[in-house]
Amino acid sequence: MSAFYDHFARHSHGQGLADHSTHYCPGCGHGLVHRDLADAIDELGVQDRTVLISPVGCSVFAYYYFDVGNTQAAHGRAPAVALAHKLANPEAVVISYQGDGDLASIGLAETISIAQMGVPITVIFINNGIYGMTGGQLAPTSLMGQKTATSPEGRNASMGKPLRMAELIAQLDGPVFVERVALYNAKQRIKARKAIAKGIRLQMEGRGYAFIEVLAECPTHLKVNPEAAEEWIRTQMEPVFPLGVKKDAIVEPWFHRPPPSFDPDIILALAGADRAEAGSASAPARHASGNRDRSFKLAGAGGDGAQTAALILTRAAIAEGYDSTHIPSYGPESRGGTSFADVHIAEGEVLNPSAARPDVLIAFNAPSLARFAPTVAEGGVILYDSTTVKDPKGLPAGRRVIPVPFTEIAAGLNRPVVKNVVALGALQAATDALPAERILGTLRHLFKDKPSVLPVNEAAFAAGRRAVELAAG
Amino acid sequence: MPAIARGRPFLEPAYCKGCLRCVEVCAKGCISPGKSICAETGLIAVELHLDTCSGCGLCIEACPEPFGLRPESEVTRHAQDYQLEDPAKLFGQKPSEQAPPRDRPPVKIPLPECEPLVLKGNYAAAIGAVLAGCRHVYGYPITPSTEGAELMAKIMPKLNGAFVQAVSEVAAVNMMYGAGAAGVPVMTFTSSPGFSLMLEGVSYMIGAEVPGVFINVMRGGPGLGNIAPEQTDIKLACRGLGHGNTHAIVLAPSTPQEMLDLTMEAFALSFRYRNPVVILGDGYLGQMTGSVRLPPYLLNPGLPAWAVWGDKAHRRNLICSIHLSEADLEKHNEHLNAKYAEIGSNEQRAELYHCEDARVLAIACNTPARMTKGAVEEARSMGIAAGLFRPVTLWPFPIDALRDALTHVEQIVVVEASPGQLEDELRLALSHAGIAPPPIASVRRLGGNLPQQGDILACIRETQEVHA
Repeated sequence: MSAFYDHFARHSHGQGLADHSTHYCPGCGHGLVHRDLADAIDELGVQDRTVLISPVGCSVFAYYYFDVGNTQAAHGRAPAVALAHKLANPEAVVISYQGDGDLASIGLAETISIAQMGVPITVIFINNGIYGMTGGQLAPTSLMGQKTATSPEGRNASMGKPLRMAELIAQLDGPVFVERVALYNAKQRIKARKAIAKGIRLQMEGRGYAFIEVLAECPTHLKVNPEAAEEWIRTQMEPVFPLGVKKDAIVEPWFHRPPPSFDPDIILALAGADRAEAGSASAPARHASGNRDRSFKLAGAGGDGAQTAALILTRAAIAEGYDSTHIPSYGPESRGGTSFADVHIAEGEVLNPSAARPDVLIAFNAPSLARFAPTVAEGGVILYDSTTVKDPKGLPAGRRVIPVPFTEIAAGLNRPVVKNVVALGALQAATDALPAERILGTLRHLFKDKPSVLPVNEAAFAAGRRAVELAAG
Repeated sequence: MPAIARGRPFLEPAYCKGCLRCVEVCAKGCISPGKSICAETGLIAVELHLDTCSGCGLCIEACPEPFGLRPESEVTRHAQDYQLEDPAKLFGQKPSEQAPPRDRPPVKIPLPECEPLVLKGNYAAAIGAVLAGCRHVYGYPITPSTEGAELMAKIMPKLNGAFVQAVSEVAAVNMMYGAGAAGVPVMTFTSSPGFSLMLEGVSYMIGAEVPGVFINVMRGGPGLGNIAPEQTDIKLACRGLGHGNTHAIVLAPSTPQEMLDLTMEAFALSFRYRNPVVILGDGYLGQMTGSVRLPPYLLNPGLPAWAVWGDKAHRRNLICSIHLSEADLEKHNEHLNAKYAEIGSNEQRAELYHCEDARVLAIACNTPARMTKGAVEEARSMGIAAGLFRPVTLWPFPIDALRDALTHVEQIVVVEASPGQLEDELRLALSHAGIAPPPIASVRRLGGNLPQQGDILACIRETQEVHA
């Protein structure tokens, strides 16, 4: 027996036409393909594994009939739904059953992109050259000159020529099997049955994605009887949509997906988490030890390292037991442009994480200094790169201004990119924000997989501190 | 495949639509168009005259109806003597030896204690999803949410999970629909324009009762807008989740820690109610780095009984959002309404900061709530009895907690990076609850600017002067 339900209880609560008939019009090609599909599922022994995706279109109710797992999808999205079903349960046999409006019009992007991915699913494409469910409108596969509800004078060139999906899909790399079949006589029906079964078998064997286009009759909207519809397919449609195998690649089974892992050790490693140990380096929380909250602005051009320096500051503060936040702000460019960072270090909770009135400014260039120096809070600290900024004008009074040649010091270490670490050293010496050893500890942790660059960073940090200490006399 | 020869045909006239596709294939002329209308169907079934039938079976394979022309042998398997049987009993439901599927509940796996992580909000949300058992991530890159997707692209393959960069947000949300239909936890990272594109799929997920978690790191709009933070998808998330009668729990984190915690919670809520859950962050929050502590456990998610999994136990399951009869669809909507009401009474969440004696109550969510907290603290230091009411669920709005917090309040100040979408939610909730609120002032910024602490403080002080 095939994979059909013994009676169609979902069809109008079982009150549908005699409880055993489909909702399809007399002579519709869908019924034949349904029978072929049901027989294939049964004969391949996969009824218990099959998930059928019903589309939007006349076959929206395919789930009335097939005694398999059923998911009904939004218009055109059946392959997306099918892909996710397959990836959720790789043992499932997933079939995306779609019409021409669904597959070749509204869902074209999903159709092509998922075919190209090549994940083993079976797509059955019913091409009847017209929209059935909405009442006989133009389909992407309607023939030139074909009169439909939305091409009353016949399809013309401005509507584009009919889209040949099997050929289009066959030229993609993803699919392993593409065939166009028809239903208009006994010989073609046998080929259709075989193609559908083959498409499912290729999926079962993990060989890949299969696409079977079926030229199917829609006597109702062609406004002819079923026999004339068969004839129309043979004489009118077939010349535009030639039958046959379009692609049949020989591919070894490749689709294997092990079950997902829930191993805590792997997950912690991926999250970059370090296990807490008794007597570990992390200082006790300073929450409730006070409510001091200091804000820092690090500003420069992209590539100056303002964000990295800000992140090191935040990490060190959190390791020291403070609450701390870092917010980056970039210009639209991927490289170059502006780059500002707001950092807060608080004894209690960081309330407001933005640094509109920073206590400390590090400016890597003149525009940053000009823009943010006036925002620095009364009594605050302004550190700037005296290599790139010469004789700045109009700095606010009542702030401690410390020029440090970040760039020159870094160049002296033969590693210009460490100027941000020079700046961090200067910041540490100019404020009592964090102990030097804590920032160094964070640097060491940061470079634990690249120990070769640690010494130059340590040297840069020390040089930055020294520069401030010298400036202070 | 077996050969097509299936023997002599059998036809129950009520299952024939009279399409005549069988007539033309019979070389022996055994089948002819019928002459009488079938009382049951109103259609004219074909008539069989099998005296000359050779049993070639061509008519059977030409018939488009599942229960149309069938081999006699198949039918007689069911009934030895058709003449004596009531036809209705011939094709009854196959008895199923399969027990109905049962929920396989999630399993908690202990996590060792770890040092606090220092994470961006987007990363924190991704790790929260991993800990909640999510191994299926679908998305499309969009600033400022991409870090989440990028981390997932790195992590998922190492956990045998799936990360797929879809061809569009439309495809991504429908992949979520498929994974959710299969009963597995699934999520996406997106931002405002992408969320707009996903809304059709969200409506389908709600209609079909499919779980899934959406992290929308909101940015400036309308249109392409910019990539700076705004809160202008509150309206979409609370009132506009695609077409039809839709609602989803909307969570509004304000710290990287909450990005992790609320993402984990979102998965639990999503499966508890079989409904999508939306996490609304803002551009600042996604990019903000802060201290994040991990929970003491992670989850292996199990499998719900309703899943369309693709095995014997779940074979009879159906996920769909179509209900053709008006009566069915009304009943389904009443079911959804009952669910929304249950969510409304069970899932309100809010943080109350200095609300006990507050006379001026600021209301804010996401990052602006943090600026507001700073302003409240500053106002308190000036002797103003200010408080912060921070809705953590924007839908359902935490009106019960707000009602209590309003006891002494003379003035409300709504702070938002939006033209009043949070205030609209507040006013709707107050109105539905029949609460006559004190005067409402507002601090609003747009375009990617956030309300600043100084502006909020100024507004609080101004309203106090009025009341003094």
